[in-house]
Amino acid sequence: MLSLKRSFLLLSFALLVAAVLVGCSSNDGASNNVSEGNNNPESEGSGGEGEWEGQSISVQLIGDFTMEASTDPITGEKTKGLEVLKEEFESQHPGATVEFIIMPWEGYTEKTQAMITSGEADVYQMPGIADFAAQGVVEPLQSYIEEDDEFDLDKFIDKQVDGWKALGPDSDELQIYGLPFLGDARFITYDKQLFDEWGVEYLSDYPTMEEVAEKAKQMTGKNPVTGEQNYGIWFRGDWSSAFTLINLAEGQNGRWGTGFAWDEIEFEFDSPEMVSGLEWLLEMQEYAPEGLVSDQGNEKWLTQDNNIGIVLNQGPGDTIMPAYAQGLGDRIGIAQEFKNDENQGGMFAGSPITMAKDSENKELAWEWMKFATSDVMQQYVFEEANAMPSIKSVKTWDSYAEVENLMAPTLEAMSTPWTPRYPWASSQPRFILTSEVEAALTGKRSAQEAVEKAQKESTEWLENRN
Amino acid sequence: MINLTSIQYFYQTQMETLTKSVGKKEGKSLVRSQMELQSNEGDQSVGISNDVETLKSKKRKAAITWYIFLLPSFLGILLFMVYPIVESFRLSFFQSNGTIEKFIGIRNFEQVLTSKTFWNTVWNTFFIGFFQIMITIPLGFVFASLINSVRKGQNFFKVIYFLPNVTSIVAAAMIFQFVLHPEMGVVNYALDSLGLPTSTWFSDPSTSKWGVILLAVWHWIGFVIIICLANLQAISPELYEAAKIDGASGIQQWLFITIPNMSGTFAFLLITGWIGGLQRFNEVYVLGGPNGSPARSIQTMGAFIYERGFTGFEFGIASAATYIMFVIILIFTFINLKVSKMKL
Repeated sequence: MLSLKRSFLLLSFALLVAAVLVGCSSNDGASNNVSEGNNNPESEGSGGEGEWEGQSISVQLIGDFTMEASTDPITGEKTKGLEVLKEEFESQHPGATVEFIIMPWEGYTEKTQAMITSGEADVYQMPGIADFAAQGVVEPLQSYIEEDDEFDLDKFIDKQVDGWKALGPDSDELQIYGLPFLGDARFITYDKQLFDEWGVEYLSDYPTMEEVAEKAKQMTGKNPVTGEQNYGIWFRGDWSSAFTLINLAEGQNGRWGTGFAWDEIEFEFDSPEMVSGLEWLLEMQEYAPEGLVSDQGNEKWLTQDNNIGIVLNQGPGDTIMPAYAQGLGDRIGIAQEFKNDENQGGMFAGSPITMAKDSENKELAWEWMKFATSDVMQQYVFEEANAMPSIKSVKTWDSYAEVENLMAPTLEAMSTPWTPRYPWASSQPRFILTSEVEAALTGKRSAQEAVEKAQKESTEWLENRN
Repeated sequence: MINLTSIQYFYQTQMETLTKSVGKKEGKSLVRSQMELQSNEGDQSVGISNDVETLKSKKRKAAITWYIFLLPSFLGILLFMVYPIVESFRLSFFQSNGTIEKFIGIRNFEQVLTSKTFWNTVWNTFFIGFFQIMITIPLGFVFASLINSVRKGQNFFKVIYFLPNVTSIVAAAMIFQFVLHPEMGVVNYALDSLGLPTSTWFSDPSTSKWGVILLAVWHWIGFVIIICLANLQAISPELYEAAKIDGASGIQQWLFITIPNMSGTFAFLLITGWIGGLQRFNEVYVLGGPNGSPARSIQTMGAFIYERGFTGFEFGIASAATYIMFVIILIFTFINLKVSKMKL
């Protein structure tokens, strides 16, 4: 009786340990959730026969990707899953296996750090490329590009390759570590209907600060047609306000500073252009609804009841598809952010793809990177994943023609941002500057004091870091 | 000889009780060992054959079984608690971006302790924590007393008041952004209807902390009420009966019987409330992001650690700040224990 009881206890324990071990083990060789929906037996496990026999890669993707077909909750349209790309890639590369690891945008930096440290994937979607390249964990791509006759960097939209260049751990010259995968841009959006109702001329394609200010003033008050309270302008006073301010400085031929590596960076946060830029924002706050410092007041934007004329520092993800989903595709207009005399300005954004330094199948990983930037996958990204493509051939697609009035200025914005990207965009200086913009917007400090404090704190931080 | 006799006596008594309670099989083996013991009495040595299970070995085996059951969770604690704590301590002496590390001694601690931003977060954390506790515990106790006094519908009120506590704080924070919306929020609407001045709440550094306090009070009060109610119902009714006979009024009973009997509960709520308050992160992250917008007015110590560690890749600074926060909580809890005279 006793031994039976003991056996039972031991058996339970063994089962528990087995469950823990199975749960914690890697997925190598086993079918898992990421390869669900794949009915091709040849691509399971060690791969089938062919040139790439036995080789497999893991690809990490961030954002609204799904493995299987799904229905878009906003538009109600059916979208295809990544399985179609898997089939296409594996049929182009017989014997190869590709698996996906999809993660949400929330906390992507630390998740990518954990993944790359433990060698989880071969190819990464990596907006924080500058930090990872400096750690020496991503592969430089110049040799792959040079040795591959099929591949041409000219296929990418202008500025996109330059924008993602980064410094390696020991180099002092910017190099290509990533290929542009998802495009992104910053621009100014406006509601044409409100402009019509107020009898104000639409924003020009490249507006100046004076033009925006004047039109915002004209459209603040009781709408002459509807009688509703309208506001001329809105911008986020928190989170992204540092970038809005930097763009205002760029529009006056100023800049954030110089350098790319931490030991070379010099900030110019307290330049006269930054002071006047912040003063301009303080003035514009008068023509905006209350609450912009806490991302409030814009609840009606991109709805039929919109009450805001102009919105600064917007991106295609928040604008294009949501506008069409609300039936506002023709009502919304896009103008460029403030540019300097060299037609440069606005934050460079998006996602490149990179190859892990410790990838065991680098040739296949490179093949995937080419595939990911080919028309097949870029079209998928645009049509199924609600993201911006990074290649010029987008203009030849039917899907582009349907949304051309918003896409054309977006592509224009993608080819004129400030490059290389702001190297401090996810570090302390960004938060220091944001907090000081907030302090000015909430009346805690004057524009001059705020930028001086931001400059002082950012410089001190830099000194402590180096 | 005296020793041997006592051992014999011990075995005899054990055998008797065991044969009665456990059953024949075990009893027999003990009888056998007893016999062997007697037969060896001549040469004064005690020998127990190997195939015999003694009570001691049985106990040891039983104990091992339970250790084995504890092992998985213990391994989990070692891996996911002890290791990160030790690793974080090591990291606090390094400049680290996750892969590249450089030993820099105590410079991280110096930087954190001389950072005005960090001390601002300490102030914010204590400010929000202090008012949350000072408002919630008395208010919760009053509500608990009222609920305890009603004859019908006690459970209904308990459920209603406890509901906020089971709501996700992240979801609640999102809803509070609408509740405290400058133009469309119900709070400003109510204030305006009463002719009181309205506020922009989370858009103003001077009122944003009060927005967080309001949310924290709303979320925690259900828990305080339930704990207070448990204590209220444990106070002996005899005390109240005696007081009534002595002519004590309802208020006097509440003041001189109820409140003194609640001291243990108040101490418990004070200490757990402070520890939770000092670790505050989720709601301020939802409301103000990692830098506690607007103008770092609601950035707590936890948010400071997150901002430096997970958005800026400064793991050394974040680890040092974590240990400083740990020491602050430790000292403060120690003071709380002394003040509240709570026994550990």
